Amino acid sequence: MAHEATMPRLSAGFGRHARSVLILALALGIATYLWFYAPSFYRTNNLINVLVQSSSLAVLCIGMAVVMIGGGIDLSLPANMALSAILGGFYMAAGGSPLIGSVIMLASGTAIGMLNGVAVAYLKMIPFVVTLATMTVLNGLSVWLTNSTSVSGFPESFFDVMLARPWGVPTPVIIVAVAIFLASVLMSSTLLGRHVYAVGISPKAAEVARVPVSRTLLLGYGLAGLCAGLTAILLSARLGSASANMGVDSVVLDIVSAVVVGGVSIYGGVGRIWAAALGAVFITLLSNSLNLLGASFYLSLVIKGVVIIGFIALDTAFRGRR
Amino acid sequence: MNETTNKTALISRGGGLIDLATRFGFPIVLVLMFVALSSSTNSFFTLDNQMSMLHAMAPIVIIASGMALVVMSGKLDISVGSIAFLSVALGSLLIKQAGWHPVAAYTVTLLIGAVLGAVNGFIVVVLKVNPLITTLGTMIAFRGVALQVTNANVIVLPDEVRKFGNLTFGPVFADVLIAALVLVAVHVLHERTSYGRQITAIGNGETIAARIGLPVGRLVFTNFVLCGVLAAFGGIFAAAQVGSVTTFLGQGLEFTAVAVVVVGGISLFGGQGRILGGVALGALTFEMIRNGLNHLGANPYSYKLFGGVVIFIAMYADALKARSRKSPGGG
Amino acid sequence: MNTSASPELAMTGISKTFPGVVALDQAHLSARAGEATAVMGANGAGKSTLMNVLGGVTRPDAGSIELCGTRIDIASPRDAASHGIAFVHQELTMLPTLSVAENIFIDDFPSKGGLIDRAAIHARCQIILDRLGCTISPDRIVGELSTGDRQMIEIARAMRREPRVIIFDEPTSSLTQPEKRRLFAVIESLKRDGAIILYITHFLDEIFEICERVSVMRGGRTVGGGSIETFKPVDIVRLMLGEVDVGTRLKAPLDERQKTVLEVRGLARGTALQDINFDLYVGEVVGLWGLLGAGRTELARALVGLDPIDHGTIRWHDGTALRPISPHALHKLTGFVTEDRRGEGLLLPLSVNDNLALPSLKRFLNPWGLLNRKPQAALADTMIDRLGIKVSSREQSAGTLSGGNQQKVVLGRWLATEPRLFILDEPTRGLDVSAKTEILKLTAELARSGATVLLISSEIDELMRICDRYLVMVRGAITAELPGSASHAELMDALSAPVASHMTQRARA
Repeated sequence: MAHEATMPRLSAGFGRHARSVLILALALGIATYLWFYAPSFYRTNNLINVLVQSSSLAVLCIGMAVVMIGGGIDLSLPANMALSAILGGFYMAAGGSPLIGSVIMLASGTAIGMLNGVAVAYLKMIPFVVTLATMTVLNGLSVWLTNSTSVSGFPESFFDVMLARPWGVPTPVIIVAVAIFLASVLMSSTLLGRHVYAVGISPKAAEVARVPVSRTLLLGYGLAGLCAGLTAILLSARLGSASANMGVDSVVLDIVSAVVVGGVSIYGGVGRIWAAALGAVFITLLSNSLNLLGASFYLSLVIKGVVIIGFIALDTAFRGRR
Repeated sequence: MNETTNKTALISRGGGLIDLATRFGFPIVLVLMFVALSSSTNSFFTLDNQMSMLHAMAPIVIIASGMALVVMSGKLDISVGSIAFLSVALGSLLIKQAGWHPVAAYTVTLLIGAVLGAVNGFIVVVLKVNPLITTLGTMIAFRGVALQVTNANVIVLPDEVRKFGNLTFGPVFADVLIAALVLVAVHVLHERTSYGRQITAIGNGETIAARIGLPVGRLVFTNFVLCGVLAAFGGIFAAAQVGSVTTFLGQGLEFTAVAVVVVGGISLFGGQGRILGGVALGALTFEMIRNGLNHLGANPYSYKLFGGVVIFIAMYADALKARSRKSPGGG
Repeated sequence: MNTSASPELAMTGISKTFPGVVALDQAHLSARAGEATAVMGANGAGKSTLMNVLGGVTRPDAGSIELCGTRIDIASPRDAASHGIAFVHQELTMLPTLSVAENIFIDDFPSKGGLIDRAAIHARCQIILDRLGCTISPDRIVGELSTGDRQMIEIARAMRREPRVIIFDEPTSSLTQPEKRRLFAVIESLKRDGAIILYITHFLDEIFEICERVSVMRGGRTVGGGSIETFKPVDIVRLMLGEVDVGTRLKAPLDERQKTVLEVRGLARGTALQDINFDLYVGEVVGLWGLLGAGRTELARALVGLDPIDHGTIRWHDGTALRPISPHALHKLTGFVTEDRRGEGLLLPLSVNDNLALPSLKRFLNPWGLLNRKPQAALADTMIDRLGIKVSSREQSAGTLSGGNQQKVVLGRWLATEPRLFILDEPTRGLDVSAKTEILKLTAELARSGATVLLISSEIDELMRICDRYLVMVRGAITAELPGSASHAELMDALSAPVASHMTQRARA
């Protein structure tokens, strides 16, 4: 009995340890390499740039982390983000106010997220496949609505706000920091957050402990959708346009690898928002430095694929089979 | 006592209704769609168009057959599109750059498909990584490798391959015949061989299969390899039809393959469905939507949306059926 | 029959120790061809382990097995099969989407030219089914069959290799009455063919019906056995449960009833729960007494909406009057301790603090909707202190606690919600003696402070130390109610009474 009881803690501890060591070693390796071969990387401006670049990925990662901690997955986040950006973009391109345009993006993102949530929580469909389907539908809708072109011509005031640098810090970075803070508080200090963890660990045990399982799942997916909406605002401001291309499937890979590197378990119940966001920075860094080192975008896809599988294999090995 | 029998009768009747709707719902819709399209456009119900529909279906039928085997075992392989792309790209490079004969080159393509499938199988069986995440990773990784080796350039295929891609016997395209053969072969493999029955057993429940003493790991591995080979095989025809290997080869194929399988009534929960009818029906549904929208003059991009709605309904039906299967009678 | 001949199957001196537990201690078992031998024992008595040894699932540390006079060595299920030992598991291993014939031959299809020889499996399957007197077509899909039919197919699969020994592990637990009759007919015919039948069950009436011999186990030892005719049901119950030292009561039985808290009428679900009626009163501990599989857990789960019910009403006293209440609503008012502590009771990776607070989190929300850590921690500390939970800190993860401390966390979680009703399903399972006593003391305290407790336990001595009243459950129905002063013998008799009356009825008929 005692033997059985201490085992999980030991192995979990070792698992976490191995993961941190691995990430640290990777990060150090990249950092050293850049120091010698691309010293320009360390200029303040470039570093801030990296943060701006990671901002949109980070917000998507927050959403994915919430869903994954709850034991699910949402592959439709990038497609959701693209469609939401397009919808808000249409409004703004037609001369609508950026504020309402942004609200449209947030609302559309949340609504789509909730749709996934209903399918998973109440219709009992498989999260992976449902969101794969939503991903395709949304992508189809985006391409259809835009005829495969991009929507641009947003009002200047939109960019004035989004591209500003109050106190030298770009707005997106501030927004992301606030988002990370809010999401962390939500997950650690609200009823919903605690319930998400409980459902992710064991829906059965959560139900016995009076956790409203279905509602929690629904809200989790809704929250992920909200993050997609927020990313839509950030990215359409940075790109100056919105298009179906924003949601290409390699973004899904980025999100999943970032979140997994950030220590969120695909088996649910484990993970922290800030760590997932840090994972986003790590993945952006990885892409950037691979780029600087002359590796093609394609090779970086391969490397990320390997990173995901490697980390999950580690996770699985240390955790033992479910 | 009377009351309970009544109740079970009611439940089975309810199950029967669901069953009826899911089993015959899509064929009925398909027939209605066919009639509607035939009567509302002049160009749809022509021999040429019907044959070209079958022609367009051929690659996806082959790939979906492999997917069906994996789904039968309760797993999923969403890397099939990328396997098709990578293996066909490598084979085509052998023709273009090394001057290989197409037959030899595409035999190598099939081997590469097997190796890539084996990579998936290894990760799933040995590293015990969830198959969904595994193939999500390899989907993008394989595509990355393919884009790297082709430099994201289009490989134009030699004339002999192009000709083969659109070869016809009478009104029938050669690849339609081959796809039909593959489909029948996979169907027989599934229904009439020990292997097919045993992967279906795994789809019924991996722990039960292991308890009965089936070599679960080996079967799942083999299944991924087979799926890889069929993905590569389907990819060859997809490339031959357009006469080139473009960066779009296989993109979205994984999803279409899953969709075809689900619409064909092959349950994503594993172990349930028939391959011959299922894949044919599913592929026909999607091809008819695509082709029909075309003939109606609809925006070609709307296809994804309609297709998506269809798959959503199919998946919901699947989930419903799975639920009614899980709770028989009083429990 | 051939009582004088030596037994065809003899297991002697079988011992097996798992880390920390002696599962079998010099256990023995003998069985004869053409007879069914019942293997009886309470939960954890070692009968499953003994059967697993015979089935090749578990390797014993010591002991020998003789089959028809020759000593055999069984190292794996495959070995067991090759010696003609077949195991019909309690949990069916049927593959619902495959046909009957496919299910029977799944691991060893006869094939011709790479294809399954369908004609052959059909024919061979038909032969086996005929022998079992089973009229199911080999081509039927198993998913369409009833549980009883699936059981038949499971037996048919075991029969494929012409076994000499067939182990039935609780085969009737989910069968309807006619299905059970059919199974018994099959067992009779197997006996006539000279098979050695080993029959594990918790249902006393069954063994008197179809078994010739009985072997009773307790605490890893074989404590009795012989020809069934020499036993009365109550003897077997006594052997199974042992003469217990009840010790002192932790709580004197209440002399008078307070007002009703909960009223259950006509609660039913399938065959598991049949027309359940009872009342619970303020401040009492009611023992739900019955053998494993009697439907106690099913009743507990149905009351709080974790399992569905077919019909029945529940009324709850909300302070002013008894009003109808849904099981889901009752869940919100009840402290429910499940029998599966690690799987359902706790969220193992979470801290003791979080586990304790989970259902009462709402209380700690500030006006902003944020959780206030301090009162939550204070609650955790109070509970840790009050229940004497041994932790290094309240942030220790629940999975690393000992069983007793885990159970205290579960209890503490519900205590914090101050419910007026507790339903405790095997709260002391797997705990050591002192932890058991502590949990029982706590239970007594709950009742003293005015709560009502519905207690499920398989250990009679535990119930006898604390219960004010007993509800006796047999086969999904409440068959009797006994006062808290009921003696050991009365409780035992209550379990076998329905069996005994059943037997006399049969005798008369």
